[in-house]
Amino acid sequence: MIFSLNLSFSDLLLLLPEIFLTCWLCVVLIVDFVSPRLPKEQLAYLSVAGLVITLGCLAWFDVNHISGALFGNMFVLDRMAIFFKVFILGATILVILSSVEYVNRFTLFRGEYYVLVVMSALGMMFMASANDLLSVFVSLEFSTLGFYVLVSYLRDDLASNEAGLKFFILGVFAAGLFAYGISLVYGETGQLVFSEMSSAQATPGLIIGFLLIFAALGFKIGAVPFHSWIPDTYHGAPTPVTAFLSIAPKGAALVILLRIFLVALASFKPVWVYLLVAVSIVSMTYGNIVAIAQRNIKRLLAYSGIAQIGNVLIGLAAGTKMGSDAILFYLLAYLFANLGAFAVVIAVSQAIGKDEIEDYRGLNRRSPFLAFAMLLFLLSLAGVPPLAGFIGKLYIFVAAIQEGLYTLITVGLINIVISMYYYLIVVKQMYINEPIDPSPIRISSPMKTVIYVSLAGTLVIGIYPQPFTDWVVEATLMFSNFVTPSATALPSTIHVGG
Amino acid sequence: MGEHALLYILFAPFLGALGLIFVSNRQPLLVRGIAASSAFVSLISSIYLFYAYDPVKGGFQFVEKIEWSRQLGISLHLGVDGIGTPLVLASTILLFAGIFVSWHITDRTKEFYIWLLILAAATIGVFMSLDLFFLYFFYEMSVIPMYLLLGMWGSHTKKYLEMSDPEGVKLRDSVGFILNFGSNSKEYAAMKLVLFLSAFAVVALMGILLIYKYSGLNTFDILVLREQANLMNIPVLGTTLDKIIWVLVFFGFASIAPLWPMHSWSPVGHAAAPAATSMLHAGVLMKLGHFSIIRVAFEILPETTREMMPIAAVLCMFSIIYGGFVAFYAKDTKYVIGYSSSSHMGYVFLGMAALSYISLSGAVIYMFAHAMATGMLFAMAGWVYDQTHTRDIPSLGGLSNKMPFISACFMVACMASIGMPGTVNFIAEIMIVVGSWNKYPLQVIVAMLGIVLTLAYLFKMMRGLFYGPMNQKYGHAHDAISTVDRLPLLIMISVSIGFGIFRCICMMLFALAWIH
Repeated sequence: MIFSLNLSFSDLLLLLPEIFLTCWLCVVLIVDFVSPRLPKEQLAYLSVAGLVITLGCLAWFDVNHISGALFGNMFVLDRMAIFFKVFILGATILVILSSVEYVNRFTLFRGEYYVLVVMSALGMMFMASANDLLSVFVSLEFSTLGFYVLVSYLRDDLASNEAGLKFFILGVFAAGLFAYGISLVYGETGQLVFSEMSSAQATPGLIIGFLLIFAALGFKIGAVPFHSWIPDTYHGAPTPVTAFLSIAPKGAALVILLRIFLVALASFKPVWVYLLVAVSIVSMTYGNIVAIAQRNIKRLLAYSGIAQIGNVLIGLAAGTKMGSDAILFYLLAYLFANLGAFAVVIAVSQAIGKDEIEDYRGLNRRSPFLAFAMLLFLLSLAGVPPLAGFIGKLYIFVAAIQEGLYTLITVGLINIVISMYYYLIVVKQMYINEPIDPSPIRISSPMKTVIYVSLAGTLVIGIYPQPFTDWVVEATLMFSNFVTPSATALPSTIHVGG
Repeated sequence: MGEHALLYILFAPFLGALGLIFVSNRQPLLVRGIAASSAFVSLISSIYLFYAYDPVKGGFQFVEKIEWSRQLGISLHLGVDGIGTPLVLASTILLFAGIFVSWHITDRTKEFYIWLLILAAATIGVFMSLDLFFLYFFYEMSVIPMYLLLGMWGSHTKKYLEMSDPEGVKLRDSVGFILNFGSNSKEYAAMKLVLFLSAFAVVALMGILLIYKYSGLNTFDILVLREQANLMNIPVLGTTLDKIIWVLVFFGFASIAPLWPMHSWSPVGHAAAPAATSMLHAGVLMKLGHFSIIRVAFEILPETTREMMPIAAVLCMFSIIYGGFVAFYAKDTKYVIGYSSSSHMGYVFLGMAALSYISLSGAVIYMFAHAMATGMLFAMAGWVYDQTHTRDIPSLGGLSNKMPFISACFMVACMASIGMPGTVNFIAEIMIVVGSWNKYPLQVIVAMLGIVLTLAYLFKMMRGLFYGPMNQKYGHAHDAISTVDRLPLLIMISVSIGFGIFRCICMMLFALAWIH
């Protein structure tokens, strides 16, 4: 492989968002050191300002169709990379705003918290552009490094420490699997760039290599059977970090999965479709059934997240351009619903100090706004019209039925009903049960902003999805070249197994 | 102005609900005023619609088409035919009446009206959808408001559900027993309702997705699918695809109707719901099932429908007889009316199964008529419950002394429900019976028995509530005196007695052109 590092100015332009954000990160860190008496909220707003500028830059790229590749195709900036960068930045902004108040719980290093969050976001932005296995590995570890610290940020809280340790040990294990997988794949094909692997032969080494890589990425998105860290880590981590962990790394890992399955392994689709169908079925069913038994809202959302990833994998198993459109759309819906739900959890726990579902008793009496917002977020996660989650689920099912994945769709539909039950249990606590302590709950203004934005996203995407579907369809245009013409089942043959 | 009537009918309640969000609960009169006026706009527009619909021309009129998603082939395609128009009218009448029936709700008034308006608007949305996606969209949307309305403003069913025969021997609703798990709480009823309806809704969704895929037209538009989709003769799993789709769609939607044996969520839900919700639930929500079957299965798969409809003819007998007997033995007023509704919905299935002009028209008019009759019964059961705080029929009695107006209205409602000549129900019943006689004589005999049963249990309930010795515990109960309380009953009674019936019949006759 030959690297040409004679970067021109226009090449640097492609890296502008990342370069800018790196500089801004240093600025935030320096401001924190130079003026230790500055209220930490200011640092939050400073970080948000940087992220918003980066977002604006990416929006400009998207409008002007700027794209290209750098470093011998290791770094690509295509429409999909831009989509995921916008996605990650949006999630980061909402997370930072929802942690402004929460940060006061930390005894030390309140300023560094924001730096670490933005650093992880930066790593994930590189992941969105990573186009070969090495850059995936580096950027993945870069972003995870920040998370290891963030998860155990509540120094004196045993649960947080346990969560951090669990996350660290399993994360390092996953990194090892990933590195081993890369070495096998490289040994078999001599290639690291995804687009050049599409002509590879299916040798045992290659298959094992990709299975290992899939396992490592499955760990990131929390698909069964790689989910074991999720409940404890989500439970123990500071809630804003849980919110961040529940959405941004999943998006970043999914862009890699999309590039691997739809570009590098496009010709092996008849083989990997069974793998994805199996993982998807198990994730949905396990996540939803175990969620029923949860008593803690963070664990409930953790298990519901496992189930949601199962839903996303339906789109990946479809393995078509429409499937990837559906995944992107679903993630948008999931972003607002999930972050919104976590924002409500943070607001409630600021007021009551606990996260048990029991504590949501009579929330409707204590804060009608919070209860109503939570209701809509949970219903969007459950997939009830007219909310974003419903369109997302339908989009995924339509993409999957075009490929004849009947078993998968049947399981997905049954799971909608199962999930309805535990979301409604929370709704029951909020609306039907009477509160023990009827004092009203106060919400800080940054938190209100987060909830309003998430509500607007959930409703607007659900009621008028056309601009968003247009956006995702353009973002995945690259796949129309790679994906083999869909093996649409002829009307006379329905394969029940797939 | 007039050509957009459907949009006014559909969006007035939504806008009312949206407006209510910004009103404080401390101004209950303003809250009620907004709810009532948005329902009024809807009602006036639908009366206009009912008279402006041209029955001679037939077909879908007042069509609106707004593109919604190019990629998925979805557009907000609205339109009504002779089947949709009366059902839209029934929904708006019941919504308007329901707002007055629940005038005295003081707990979280605003939220109550928001959910009630959304529930009604979603139902109206189904009745005017010409797009499979939106049909399902509004259908699902109507379920969640039911959960909250039952859970927040409903009442526990206590022990009323236990039944005893005239000798005092305890009886059990066998199917209900299996699926009830002995719970009497409103939370249980609400959860059961949502899970039942969602579970069957996803079955129907599977059918819709199969239609979408195998038509290969990349559209959910019912009119396009009706003309162009060719789903016949595709062998699948030892049978043909169209049969599988038909079964999925039929049983998916028949659960809300509710067809035996998928009915057990319904009476429990009725019993737990507040009066206005029961009215909408029994009056129009249950008709979503029949309507969706007509729209999806009848329109897109006419051949298969002809072949498969005997299934409905068999099941409807069980609905009629089973519902009637349980209603006879039940002790809870709302439970009686709930089971009577589920029994009466069997007639509609019979009319649909016979597939003749007369019987199908009868079925649709019956849906309209039943909406009024059962709406009145539930409104008055709600009034009695508000006054006495019990629905246990044996412990009530002699209330006609205290509430002469209510007892008179109750008599009229019973007559309508039984199908006395002079009410809309009579004409509908006659049409179903006459239209089905050639094809299903046995079922018609069963339906006749059902009418006798209706007579028995309604009179039994009326005697139990209003006549005989009065329990002095309820001496404080009083009649509906104010206009607000009398208005909804008067509206429904006047509609029930011969309202626009000939118009209805002409509309129906041209609704489904393929029936011969």
